[in-house]
Amino acid sequence: MGDLLANLALGFGTVLQIVPVEVPVLGMVPLPMNVLLCFVGCLVGTLIGVLPGVGPVATIAMLLPITFRFDPTGALIMLAGIYYGAQYGGSTTAILVNIPGEATSVVTTLDGHAMARQGRAGVALGIAAIGSFFAGCVATVVIAALGAPLTRLALVFGPAEYFSLMVMGLVFAVVLARGSILKAVAMILLGILLSTVGADLETGRERMTFGLQFLSDGIDFAVLAMGLFGVAEILRNLDHSESRDVVRQAIGRLLPGREDLRQSALPIVRGTAIGAILGILPGNGAVLGPFASYTVEKRIARDPGRFGRGAIEGVAGPESANNAGAQTSFIPLLTLGIPPNAVMALMVGAMTIHGIVPGPQVMTKNASLFWGMIASMWVGNVMLLVINLPLVGVWVRLLKVPYRLMFPAILLFCCIGIYSINSLPTDIMFIGLFGVVGYVLIKFSFEPAPLLLGFVLGKLMEENLRRALIISRGEMSTFVERPVSAGLLLVAACLLAVALLPTIRKGRDEVFVE
Amino acid sequence: MRAEADAARRRRLRVVGPQSLASGAALLALSALALFLTGDLPQGTLRAMGPAMLPRWLAVGVGLCGLALVVAGLVRAGHALEPWSLRGPALVVLAVLTFAVTIRPFGLGPVTIPGLGLIGAGPLTVVIGGLAAPDARLRELVALGLTLTAGCMVLFGDLLNLPIPLFPQALADAFPSGWSSDARLRVTAALMAAAGLAAHLAGTRGRRAADRTDVPGPAGRP
Repeated sequence: MGDLLANLALGFGTVLQIVPVEVPVLGMVPLPMNVLLCFVGCLVGTLIGVLPGVGPVATIAMLLPITFRFDPTGALIMLAGIYYGAQYGGSTTAILVNIPGEATSVVTTLDGHAMARQGRAGVALGIAAIGSFFAGCVATVVIAALGAPLTRLALVFGPAEYFSLMVMGLVFAVVLARGSILKAVAMILLGILLSTVGADLETGRERMTFGLQFLSDGIDFAVLAMGLFGVAEILRNLDHSESRDVVRQAIGRLLPGREDLRQSALPIVRGTAIGAILGILPGNGAVLGPFASYTVEKRIARDPGRFGRGAIEGVAGPESANNAGAQTSFIPLLTLGIPPNAVMALMVGAMTIHGIVPGPQVMTKNASLFWGMIASMWVGNVMLLVINLPLVGVWVRLLKVPYRLMFPAILLFCCIGIYSINSLPTDIMFIGLFGVVGYVLIKFSFEPAPLLLGFVLGKLMEENLRRALIISRGEMSTFVERPVSAGLLLVAACLLAVALLPTIRKGRDEVFVE
Repeated sequence: MRAEADAARRRRLRVVGPQSLASGAALLALSALALFLTGDLPQGTLRAMGPAMLPRWLAVGVGLCGLALVVAGLVRAGHALEPWSLRGPALVVLAVLTFAVTIRPFGLGPVTIPGLGLIGAGPLTVVIGGLAAPDARLRELVALGLTLTAGCMVLFGDLLNLPIPLFPQALADAFPSGWSSDARLRVTAALMAAAGLAAHLAGTRGRRAADRTDVPGPAGRP
């Protein structure tokens, strides 16, 4: 406990640190740089995240270059801020326009938008902010408390355990993907296959590069993510003639009344718990949080008929779960070095650019960075509260910008963003290529998310698989003989079996249809 | 009417799940491509895995999924293929490619495309990409392209100092030699923003005149 407090103190010390900065006109001015970066990150993240059809992945990929100038701690604090901002912006869009910014705010559209239609958009936004804030506070403590023990656990993990853990993560991703399980499996395999493009790590032989030099380093993750989630999304939106119903009713007051608060208090607590637990799971468990929370609230409600017609619990619970999951999904990354979803994979990219290898050693080698980032999560949540409630009017106006003007701007930001990462024109061409690939995938009703996760974990998996097999002298049985690894694989197998059972499959389809 | 025609066509081809069939065929093609590309690489043994071992088995896995989808498409009733559009993807990709080849000098075989920098690539990308929208208006896009590019130049070039080429060399030389690169950047950005604003104002005035004649509703504008 004393350790925890000392660590958090170190973290807050890092975040609140005041450094002299050169300001063009005033000369050297002492500024709380990290707090400012966190603020700018949250603001810009929300700004881009509010745009319909731009989820957190595309937002972070687009904004990655603006963090290059800062030191690693500042850059990661800013990126984390961009992430929460984008996540929160997605909920704002869900409530006001009925378009979910990304998978986790799908359920918010149900009751959130219904509330907005009744002229209670302000209350919906307010309760979402309050719920997210509470969830963020709890999740910060959870991360701080679990960080150290899990890091110790990671040190006992060998290559076999890592491999099995990632297999489990991918099985999770299959189970959580929408639509056909077969297609999700295909996407994951394809993702891993894409990750093997480029020079082989051990022998240096080029694999599937068509003899092209720029492919010998492999495909850049940011390029793939920007193509599949940025450009492909634009192409898809262009196909649907636009029907955006931005609420015409007044936003109304923002602060929920006493009755609203009483109704949402318990859903917020339950949503936080559900989201925090699911968020830790590898394989993008955070996506499931809002769905689970909504289902729970609907089931235990005295009058389930209210749900879908503007029940405040249907906003409070899922939004809390959403934010809690978004934050606890940092745990696998910070402790084990395994990104559980695409957003965290971009964080890995950002860390690598700044020369930090994610994994258990971050906590010992870069203690101030590790705890500073955790403390900044709490600061970021305060910022979101401060930014979002007064700025609702601005977001509403932004949402009225027609798509025909919005997407060329997004396209330009994507091009500039990707070019400034490596200064390679070929990277820009590849976002066009992957954009078309993503469009084709969407048309064939394949989900791009599992592909991206497979790609993210692919390199790590191959490395650990090879290492494990070298240690065991080529015996595949090593994965089932080592107890931890066997346990993880067993969980994966059970999950897959359960997901394939006809009754559960039906239930799963219903959850996603809802 | 269209649904009936579709159904008739499906009966003739005897494909009950066209989407599954097509997606399965695509996976099979990808798998075959990967197998072909890894064909000349050694596979190694489990004890010392070669470079081709994992890609090859993954390709086989992808192929099996593809096969299963093809079979499902032939046997089980499924979704029809969604309608495709060509204009959107083609123009967006063209815009992205334009940015890629104009941002800095780009050698394309014997020809070298001169680099235009952000000042040229930005508006080109916005205008070409923007035309992909069915309700695109050229003047509006020109205004947007100029102002956005000016903003990006200040943000990325001036404030964040990202290594992105801003002007073509010829334009940089056209400035008086005493000017610093920052001053050049700011003056150019201001000029572009002004031009963009002018285009925007000219556009709104023109449209207002048109509005007076055919009075469209506030939201129902085509």
